Order: sequence, then C-alpha cells, then structure tokens
Amino acid sequence: MIQGGLDALILEGLNPMPLLGKVSLFAEPFAEAKIFGWLTNSVFVAAFIALLLLWAARKATRNAQRVPTGFQNFFELIVEFLYSQVEQIVGQKLAPRVFPLLATIFIYVAVANWFGLLPGIGTIGFGSEPTKAFLTLSAHDHHVVPLLRPPTADLNLTLGMAAVFMLIWVYLTVRETGVIGFIKHTFGPKGGIKGALGMVLVPIFMFVGVIEIISIALRPVSLSLRLFGNVFAGENLMHVMSGLGDKAGAVVSFLISVLLPLPTFFLELLVGGLQAMVFALLCAVYIQLSTTHEEEEDH
Amino acid sequence: MDFLTSLTAKMPTFLASAAGEASEASLFEKFGVNWPKFLAQVLLFLIVYMILSKFAFKPIMVILEERKQRIAESEENLKKIAAELEAADLKRGEIISEANSRAERLVTEARESAESVAEKKRAEATSEAALIIAKAREAGELEKNQAMAELKRDFGRLVVDTTGKVTGKVLSDDDQETINREISAQISL
Repeated sequence: MIQGGLDALILEGLNPMPLLGKVSLFAEPFAEAKIFGWLTNSVFVAAFIALLLLWAARKATRNAQRVPTGFQNFFELIVEFLYSQVEQIVGQKLAPRVFPLLATIFIYVAVANWFGLLPGIGTIGFGSEPTKAFLTLSAHDHHVVPLLRPPTADLNLTLGMAAVFMLIWVYLTVRETGVIGFIKHTFGPKGGIKGALGMVLVPIFMFVGVIEIISIALRPVSLSLRLFGNVFAGENLMHVMSGLGDKAGAVVSFLISVLLPLPTFFLELLVGGLQAMVFALLCAVYIQLSTTHEEEEDH
Repeated sequence: MDFLTSLTAKMPTFLASAAGEASEASLFEKFGVNWPKFLAQVLLFLIVYMILSKFAFKPIMVILEERKQRIAESEENLKKIAAELEAADLKRGEIISEANSRAERLVTEARESAESVAEKKRAEATSEAALIIAKAREAGELEKNQAMAELKRDFGRLVVDTTGKVTGKVLSDDDQETINREISAQISL
C-alpha cells in the first residue's frame, strides 16, 4: 500500500538493486484514522517551515533599523533582490501588488527544498515489516515511513501552491484587462494586424486562442509536476547513492553512505534554489503575459 | 545474455501491471493527491503568504521605500550643494578677480601718487637747494667783500703807518685818505 505505484516501476528479480530508492511517491499520514488523514509527514514539515518563516520574519522586522544589521540586513538583501527581479518582469505598476505572493512562493519553496536535505529527513521514521521497529534508519530491504518528508516532494503542496497562484492570476488578469479584454487578448489578432489580413487570420488566431486556453489550464499541472518531479527525483537519488554500499559491510557501507551522496548533496542544493526560482519566475511571467496591454506590447 | 532474456520475458508482465494500475487509479490518486491533504497544504501556504506579506514584506518594503526616498533626497541635496559650491566658486573667483583689479588700481594709483609726490619733493628740493646755493653764494660774496674791505682797510692802515714811520712825518687825514683810496684802487681785483 505504501509503495503504491512505485513498485510497479521496479523490475524485481532482474536488477541487483532497486532502480529507484525506496522513497514513497506520496506523503504518508501519521495515523490510520481517517480524520487525521490530512496530517502527513509532509504537512507536518510544511507546518514547521511555516513556523520557521514566521520566526524569521519576526526576527528580521522586530526593531527594524534604518541602517540594517545582522538578520535584517540579510532579509532585506533577499527582498531587494526578489523585488528587482519581479519588477523587471511584471513592471513597476504591478510589482508592489504581486511581489508578496511571488516572494512567498520563492522563499517557501526554497526553504522547503533545502530543508529536505537536512540529515534525517526522509530517512528516520517508523519501521514496518520486517523489522517492526518503532524508530529505525532507512534501509533498502524494508520500508520506513519517514517521520519528516520534504514538503515539495508532495504533489499536494506543489499543486496547492500552483492552484492558489492560478486563482490569484485569474483575479489579477480580470482586474487588469477585464473579461472582454482577456478574451480579446487571447483570441484576438496579435502583432497589430488589422483590416482584411486580420479578418483572414481570425480563424488561425481563434485556434491559437484555444491552444492558449489549454496551455493556461495545464499551467498548474506543469508548475506542480516540475517542482515535485525535481525534488522527488533528488530524494530518490540521495537514497540510492547512500544505499549503494548497504551489502558491503558496516564500515564500507558507512563510508559509501557518507561520501557518495556528497556531490549529489551539492547538486540538490543548486536544484533546490533553482527550482524555487523557476517556479516564482514562471509565475511572474504568466502574470506579465496576461496583464500586459496590447498598446504596451507595441512599444 | 541471461539478463536480457529475463528482462524480455518479464516486460509484458510489467507493462500489463503498470497499465492495470493506471486504469484502476487516477494520476492524482497515484501521486497521493486527495482533498484533505491538498486543503491542508493550501491552508499552510496561505498562512505563510499572509504572515510574510503582513509581518515581513510590508515593513521591509516600507523601510526600503523610506531609505529610497532618503537617498533621493540626499542626492537632491547633494546636487543643490554642488550647485551652491559651484556658484560660491564662481563668486569667489569674481571677488578675487575684483580684489585683484582693485589692488592693481590701488598700486598703480599709489605708484602714480608716489611718483608725483617724489617729483614734487624733488622739485622742491631742487628749488630749495638752488635757494640755499644762491644764499650761500650771496653770503660768500658778502663775506668776501667784507673781508676785502677789511683787508683793504688793514692794508691801508699798514701802508699809512709804514709811510708815516718811513717818512717820519705825521700824515694828515687827507694824505691818509688819498693813500687808502690809491691802495684800494690798486688792490681791487
């Protein structure tokens, strides 16, 4: 039940080791009771990260000085960097309105991604068959329900975030261009084509509009699956690398589990930041594409 | 080779299993997506969004905006100060130039005045010297004349005395007068 669809991907008996590390495809609840079905190891970590960010925000802004020092300085550096990025993409007018959302997405995703790299996350948890130990280390011959799971390795979070973004995107687009404006923007002739040529090209632009609508509808899926896929793949990679020497004796196994994942660890640091940036920048680009007026595009 | 044979033999089973599972459960279900977990994550994200918006980004943006304004004001002040400095430099140059020209004028005037005074003094000195010389000359002449007169007188007396002693006769006043006159006439240079 826990391994679910993942087991279908493993050709047992054919390979000397699993093709993928035994990381569950989805977050697992702490309790069997249906009423606590929502309380998964991923939700638990997400809540912890929310508290961590609340603490960081308070630390950065409590007794904020005009000449910043320490953590306030660091926080301002991040905010200024993100704001300039957002402003460059969505423009000066929209930047103050959308910055909090995009900055939250970036910070939340980046912290969640990097949090998953901490030792013990995804590896320490509740044991199941055959050990039946309550607390055990991850091994590859039996399954462990991790106590903590990187929240971005849970499609519920990435999809939820993408859904929230899309709702706000719809609100911003309708507010900026209006429903009619959005329809004209999507289905109308582009590139300033008018007159007879414009009339001739109407069917083509209508078709392009339909494709655009499909593309918009798929945005939450693409956003969420990209992030989830990258983080989940990273988790698997780390598990595989750390478990490669499991059958080679205690000392070798220990050395391999420390040394082999090291390059992957740095790769995952990079991927974590990069994916957070990609998610936030794509959201900014989607906002810019739908809220830019035709006359602004012409200039 | 055995590995490939085994793989080929098991592939249909694997594919059938995968296809079967795909038909049984939707994609979202296979990825563990369900409403309670989804809503829990959405709620957490919204909480983080609201907290960061209100307690982190808003105050920081206010501080950054204030700082931006202060920097803009400072730059404006800097421009003003630079303009004032430039004006002051210009004015200082003008003042120095004016002072220089005034000083030059004063020096010229002083030089001219000094020359004029010197000339005047020189003329005065010359005329005074000339006067002194003339007076000296007059005095000299007078003294010379007096000396001559005295000399003549003494010489006349000497001649009269000598004549009286040589001749043994007492010369009358007329004789003395005559002798004096002749001697004066002969001594006159």
